[in-house]
Amino acid sequence: MPSTLSDLERPHAPATAARNPGGVDRRPFRDNPRLILLGICILLAALVAMVTLADRWSAEVNPSFLTEVVLYAVSAADLTMLLALGFVLARNIIKLAVERRRGLPFSRFRAKLVGALLGLTIIPALLVLLVGGELIRSSTQKWVSQPVDAVLGSAKQIAGEYYREREEIVASQAAGLARALPAGALRNGDAGGIRRIIETEVTQGRMRRIDVYVLTEGGGPVSLVAAQSPTLPRHDLRVFTDRFAARVAAGTASVAHETLDGGGGIVQAGSVVAEPGTGQPLGVVIATDHLTGELAREARRIVDAYEDYTRLRVLLPPLQGMYLSLFLMMTLMILVSATWMGLYLAKRITRPVHMLAEGAREIGAGHLDHRIEPETRDEFGSLIEAFNSMAAELATGQRKLERSRLDLERKNLQLEDRRRYIETVLERIATGVVSIGADGRVETINGSALRLLGVDRGVVGTEAAEIFEREDLKPLGGLLRQARTGSAPAVGHEITLAREGRDVHLAAAVTPLRRDDGGHEGAVLVFDDVTPLIRTQRVAAWRDVARRLAHEIKNPLTPIQLCAERMRRHFGAAPAPVRDLVEECTSTIVGEVESLKDLVDEFAQFARMPAPKAVPTDLHRMLADALALYNGLFQAIRIETRFDPTLPLVRIDAEQMRRVIINLVDNAVEALGGSSASAAPGRLVPLVVIETQHDPASGVARFTVADNGPGISAADRDKLFMPYYSTKRRGSGLGLAIVRRIVVEHGGSIEVHDNAPHGTRFVIEVPL
Amino acid sequence: MLIRAASCALLLLAAQALVSAVQAIHVTPLVRDGRIYVSFKLSEAFDNDDIRAAIHSGLTITFLYDIELRRGAAAWIDRTLDAATVSAGVQFDNLARRYHVSLSVDGRLEDTAILEREDRARRWLTEFERLNLFRSDRLEPNIEYYVRVRARTTPRNASFVWPWRGTDVAGLAKFTFLR
Repeated sequence: MPSTLSDLERPHAPATAARNPGGVDRRPFRDNPRLILLGICILLAALVAMVTLADRWSAEVNPSFLTEVVLYAVSAADLTMLLALGFVLARNIIKLAVERRRGLPFSRFRAKLVGALLGLTIIPALLVLLVGGELIRSSTQKWVSQPVDAVLGSAKQIAGEYYREREEIVASQAAGLARALPAGALRNGDAGGIRRIIETEVTQGRMRRIDVYVLTEGGGPVSLVAAQSPTLPRHDLRVFTDRFAARVAAGTASVAHETLDGGGGIVQAGSVVAEPGTGQPLGVVIATDHLTGELAREARRIVDAYEDYTRLRVLLPPLQGMYLSLFLMMTLMILVSATWMGLYLAKRITRPVHMLAEGAREIGAGHLDHRIEPETRDEFGSLIEAFNSMAAELATGQRKLERSRLDLERKNLQLEDRRRYIETVLERIATGVVSIGADGRVETINGSALRLLGVDRGVVGTEAAEIFEREDLKPLGGLLRQARTGSAPAVGHEITLAREGRDVHLAAAVTPLRRDDGGHEGAVLVFDDVTPLIRTQRVAAWRDVARRLAHEIKNPLTPIQLCAERMRRHFGAAPAPVRDLVEECTSTIVGEVESLKDLVDEFAQFARMPAPKAVPTDLHRMLADALALYNGLFQAIRIETRFDPTLPLVRIDAEQMRRVIINLVDNAVEALGGSSASAAPGRLVPLVVIETQHDPASGVARFTVADNGPGISAADRDKLFMPYYSTKRRGSGLGLAIVRRIVVEHGGSIEVHDNAPHGTRFVIEVPL
Repeated sequence: MLIRAASCALLLLAAQALVSAVQAIHVTPLVRDGRIYVSFKLSEAFDNDDIRAAIHSGLTITFLYDIELRRGAAAWIDRTLDAATVSAGVQFDNLARRYHVSLSVDGRLEDTAILEREDRARRWLTEFERLNLFRSDRLEPNIEYYVRVRARTTPRNASFVWPWRGTDVAGLAKFTFLR
């Protein structure tokens, strides 16, 4: 969750990681249409090449190469492809099974798609393989048949018989010549005589060439003479004939064949010329006949055809094997391609959907900046782009929401601050505030209300009616009832509550809370303690009365006093009884006038109290000066000071505050009995304690005047500071009123409490 | 129990195959003058109609003999000390009805001939006398060695799907080298 608005504005890193960071983004083979097309072209080219080569191999390839290399290679390729197919199938079947077991998305769909594609391909492919294989086998079987076998065999037999016949003729000629040649001519090397004999044979056309060799002792045959027909094609037969003669002499051959350059061939037969009687070999006769080109060619063609046919028969199994292997290879290629294509299509289809599902999960998890990189520009690509747009809009909306949430949170914090501020203010103010809900229960109540009503915090949640049923709070309860019924006055209403024998004057107002539809939603009760205000008003009234009294009474006093003294002087010469009477009356008049003057002076002083001139003053010094007046006056009363050494200078009018101290100490001394006070054994020592305190937390200086006298009753305590209220027989009742006024005009306060265990305690607080 | 019975049956079959293979080629080694001469004869080769038909089809049929001089090992594969390949080829001329034969040792042409009779061609192709193939100076005295000959023909009459076959026939002869 973003912590600030700036976090919201900063986009997150793209969720789709770069595939090849730091390098060129290589597309895999399956996603590259060009590579796929190239692969298909290579496959087709391989198939065409195999078909073409198979067609040519059957006619041209060396059989050994065919059976030793080609067949093995094709079979090896078949096995390899079979293994590859098995591997691909097994791998993907296992993979699909594992995916299904793990419950991966789209595994079932992929399995079905691959299975359907494989089923659609494998069954026809196997059928084609079986039918095609049978076709190949039956077709190749037809290459060899019994009629062809018989015809070619007969033809070869005819050609062979012709050759054999010619061999026998030539051999017969050679044998005849060997017998006809004179042994002596051969022994003597008579080439001329022998030539005549053999030339006759050649000239008569019985042979095309005749060679006569003489056998040397311990060596091979040596050519003696040769005769050749001019019709024999020119061909160097020398070497061939010499070699054949040697084989004839050795007894290892009697007939030989040689193919001529210009077509046709020769048949040679040899015979040994032996010594008549002994049979000792003397020489060798080689007879050569020519097989014309057409005849030899036809015979050769017959034999070639026969050999081709028999070779085909011999090579039929490997040829069938090769064709079947090629066919199997093509089938396997199709199967492998189909399998791969099925897997590819399944992946092609499920991958974008899987990516979309993954993306949806990411979005659902709150990663709204997750994006999917479209891999294609087809419908799936459009779908992914639509998903990305949706995600972007969601992200924008979420950012707006987040921004609003933060705004709301900030406003809530502000409201909370404000609430806390109001609570603090409510807790601090002197006005009591009580909020009451629609159900009539107290929801909030501040400290002043608690103090003024004399209840604790436990009242929160209780029925307001129950609280205000209390005897002293009943006036407020009535006010609340009026508010509920709508008859309560909108303005403040003054209510007097009796509290511990004192009257507490409250200015209370109830504000009913209304919903928009006018329904009752509770009320807020606000009340102020106006008792000090009323008291002040009374003091002001008394000051006015005092000023009028002083003015109205003081004026006639002087004439009265003068008249009385004049009467005393006038009757000074009168008889004694008269003079005594006058003296007594005038003394009384003058005394009472003096008393009235003192009273009027006090009234005037109370009425014309000047504003204090506050300056920083050493309070301790001022107190010490004031208390010095009492040194030695009262033997039985002990005056004790407990000063706080940390107290700083206090802004006060020293003269006025001195009067306050003297007044309070006078009252304390008088409460302890004054000059008649005594410290009887077993009783407490009459004691007046003046104590100072520094209260930095409140920012006030506090000083206390306490005595251990009889104390003041609770009923009198409230009236104590009112003018003309006095518990003394001869008091004007203005002393504490003046004290209170001085303290108040200094911005301070004065309270009176009971002193423990006996006596009274006046506490004065003035701001520093 | 079943596995043991199957193992025994397999061993029996293998032994029979070995015996028949040994009987197909008769091998005779001869150590003399620092050389090892090997004579061997492939029996009943031409009794096979397929071979005869292949030869008379005019194809060049080659009989290939892989000859190995080996020393037996007790607990390991026998060690081949030396090896040679003898190939005897034949091409039948159907017109002249003659067998053009040749003999090569380790690819080296040793001899050629044109034979008229089939039995001579058969002997040329299947019987070999004292071929000088190996040297004996590497042999240790009083140790038993053997010469193994494996024969096959080319082109093969191989079949579809699984053209690979083991050696058609084989034979061996043991000998103890004595210095």
